[in-house]
Amino acid sequence: MSLKPKILMYGGGWLLLISAMHAYLNVNWAAVLNDYRPPARRKITVAYIPVTCQLTCPVTDYISKLSDHGEIFLPRLFQGFPEIKEALISNRIQAAFIVAPLAIALRAQGVPIKVVYLGHRYGSAVVVKKNGPIHTFADMRGRTVAIPTRFSDERLLIFRAMKAFGIKKGEIKMVEMAPPDVAGALAAGAIDAFSMGEPFPSQAELGGYGRILFQAREYWPDYMSCILVVQQSLIDQRPDVVQELVDGIARSGMWLDKGKPHREDAADFVGRFYYNQKPALLRWALTKPLDRVMYTPLAPRKPDFDLVRDLMIETGVLDKKIEFEDYTDTRFSDGAKSQTAWRYEAGMGAAK
Amino acid sequence: MNSFAEPRKWERFVWPLLASALFLVAWHYAVVWTATKVFPSPLAVERGIAELARKGILWAYIGDSLRRVSLGFGAAVVVGVPLGLTLGWYPAVNQVMNPVLQILRPISPIAWIPVAILLFGVGDTTAVFLIFLAAFFPIVVACTSGVANVPSIYRRAGRNFGLTAPQLLARVVFPAALPQMIVGLRIALGIAWLVMVAAEMIAVDSGLGYLVIDARNSGKRYDLVVAAMLMIGIIGLLLDLCFRRLRDLKSVRWGFNDES
Repeated sequence: MSLKPKILMYGGGWLLLISAMHAYLNVNWAAVLNDYRPPARRKITVAYIPVTCQLTCPVTDYISKLSDHGEIFLPRLFQGFPEIKEALISNRIQAAFIVAPLAIALRAQGVPIKVVYLGHRYGSAVVVKKNGPIHTFADMRGRTVAIPTRFSDERLLIFRAMKAFGIKKGEIKMVEMAPPDVAGALAAGAIDAFSMGEPFPSQAELGGYGRILFQAREYWPDYMSCILVVQQSLIDQRPDVVQELVDGIARSGMWLDKGKPHREDAADFVGRFYYNQKPALLRWALTKPLDRVMYTPLAPRKPDFDLVRDLMIETGVLDKKIEFEDYTDTRFSDGAKSQTAWRYEAGMGAAK
Repeated sequence: MNSFAEPRKWERFVWPLLASALFLVAWHYAVVWTATKVFPSPLAVERGIAELARKGILWAYIGDSLRRVSLGFGAAVVVGVPLGLTLGWYPAVNQVMNPVLQILRPISPIAWIPVAILLFGVGDTTAVFLIFLAAFFPIVVACTSGVANVPSIYRRAGRNFGLTAPQLLARVVFPAALPQMIVGLRIALGIAWLVMVAAEMIAVDSGLGYLVIDARNSGKRYDLVVAAMLMIGIIGLLLDLCFRRLRDLKSVRWGFNDES
């Protein structure tokens, strides 16, 4: 065979092979087909990262798939907040779970998004090395703490504790780290402590190298970190879709707070099908004790957000006062008030 | 003007500057016409650079990046050149070492990040180690093949003049291999500069690579991201220009018969 047909044959064959493998292994066909639906019936994409602060997202997806109406949205897993932020700014996703200060900062920087609901309450903790030199928060002077991003409640939480102990700004060094990396970094001694949402404190506890110094609620009653934001254009064009999304999240929150069996079931299916984490880890984070993370009440409240905003201004990550009404839209949480928990038990083939 | 024509002195500066200016204009209007709210215009980037300079972090970061690259690249030269010369000089040693080197060579320094953090912790040493890895293998390969490619007639002539082995290496083989080694060093420096960005993104809190990740983390500040990218490009170009001057040295100029 001469060279030219040989090159064509091998080139074409290779192209065919990798295309077929890509279509079989990698393509998320639900998302591809979704793009071809008429705009009015298109499902929205909701971004989330594998933390329990955003557990209501996969739970809603899993249970709603078993309900008569079918799935409400397409969940999309991210590994960190910078990626979600970029997808939001460039309008590739319509809704996302992000940390509250990031939402406020993006809104202040002119990104057209609105907070419509919370993801959880509590569920963040400051973790130090087990048997390490840090016994109380006062020992944190001169140490390095990992935080998820500078726009996070976990960072503000450190500042609140610093205030309680009279530690000045600059005495504790903070480094930004992707949440999945912190437990490993603590074990390797690269950081002295971290302030993160579950299940990473549990991961350090279970691994035997971490000890919880304090839970968020000790220095911040009514603590919240992850919230649900949606694009303004979606609110304007399809408010019914936003309402359906918020209703679903509300129902999942109530379902999760109904007791231990639901928490254990959620740990199982979320760990296996969504977060790619060990169910045992999530079970620990969700049930030891049950109120380590709470999923009710999730309606956004002005005092909570004013507190976050003022702390942001105080710690230098926000340069102007932005009002609650400018970055939240409470009509969807008001609309979700009459919702009840999903009627679903583990093993049931259908949900209502 | 055909490609053999010698460009006039003013042309060497004017045409490249004009091309750069055209690029900036095209960039500016691309931003204006697409009405993008995300990507910054050249003017916004210029303001971003001015802001960084005013805060005093621009020069500090450039200095930190250059320091890390110098340390990593310098260590790679100190270790890599003698190793490469040895491998080229003793083909038997090369045969033994080659498989290991060839397996380690295609591993991107980025893949070493987790191991590097385990070995050196989070800090300067990790970044310097990654830059060292990036530069080390191209240098070794260039030196090995540079020595191996010295025509045997040079060595025989040297021996006929009664040179001992060390003299032969120092006065015949090394100068003969030098042009190829310089090319290898230049490539290695380019790669070191590339890897510096990735290394500074994970391990440290200063430098141009850190500036990219830091600007990314501060919300919608893509003007600073692009400013950092531009600085990385400009300094990379300057480094390469400096290195190219080495070719004009009398001892290596004979190895290059064209001007490019």
